[in-house]
Amino acid sequence: MKTFEEKWTAWVDGQLSGRELSEFEASLPDKAAAEGERAGALKLGELLKRELSARTLTNEEFFSHQLRESVARLRETPAGQARETRSIWWTIPRLLWTGGASLAVFLVFTVLVMREKNPAEESQYLTQILNARVDPVVSPNATFSIFKVKQDRVTVLWTEGLQSLPADYAAK
Amino acid sequence: MGRFPAFLISFIALTIGATSALRGAETVWSGLVIAENVAQPQPIPPELTRIEGSLKKFFGYNQFEVIGQSQKTLKTGQEDWLATSKFFGLHVDARGETEAGYVLNLKLYKEKELLLETDTKLSKRSPLVIKGPQVGGGQLLLVLVVQ
Repeated sequence: MKTFEEKWTAWVDGQLSGRELSEFEASLPDKAAAEGERAGALKLGELLKRELSARTLTNEEFFSHQLRESVARLRETPAGQARETRSIWWTIPRLLWTGGASLAVFLVFTVLVMREKNPAEESQYLTQILNARVDPVVSPNATFSIFKVKQDRVTVLWTEGLQSLPADYAAK
Repeated sequence: MGRFPAFLISFIALTIGATSALRGAETVWSGLVIAENVAQPQPIPPELTRIEGSLKKFFGYNQFEVIGQSQKTLKTGQEDWLATSKFFGLHVDARGETEAGYVLNLKLYKEKELLLETDTKLSKRSPLVIKGPQVGGGQLLLVLVVQ
């Protein structure tokens, strides 16, 4: 059993016929007002159909280009965000590279500094004679000379004028 | 902390520790040597092998015979010791250790008579040779080497 509203909608759309149509129209209290209302509804429907239908684009190439750019931007955004995230934290390869570079710089400076210091330090690592003395009464003419043999890094304290001794003194 | 940094720190600590331990256990060889020219020279004593070339070239002798020697392991750098032969005595008095070596006071005695005295900084890498008095046809040499 259809309600009045259902029958009214069907009548406005022209879908009632035969006995059902005559019975519905007979049930209307003011048929002329109902006809006017139906005509208004039909006009409104046509107006809406006409106005809300998709318009034909006159510059579709422009809109297509705009859309493609927007899509491309949307696709690029996640990668860009990822890049920004990565740049905040130092990755292990980046740390390794930085560490290696720092070490290389340190070594270069060390080598340069060592090269400058080498002449002085070489003598520091050779044995040094601070002083030497003999009994002036026993060996009044004794003299001292210091030699450094770089080949074996030997330091020699060379004395002259010491009292000579007989061969017996070579005994063990 | 990751495994690698922990391993690296341990390695460096052990290396430094081992180096310090090794530094405190060095031995000084001191010898009284008679250098002379003979027809059939004896082989050079092993303690002098490292400086054989310099000895022969510098002093012009072909035989080097050890007539007295002493080996002292230095722990504090304040030790003293004596290398003796029948007539000579070399007294070595260590008076401290530096980064490069040891500060030593050396005294050469002929029996009880002081012949020569010197103060030296003996480097760990650089042997010391002192030309002593002429003995017969040869020469007395005093040699100190950090082994």
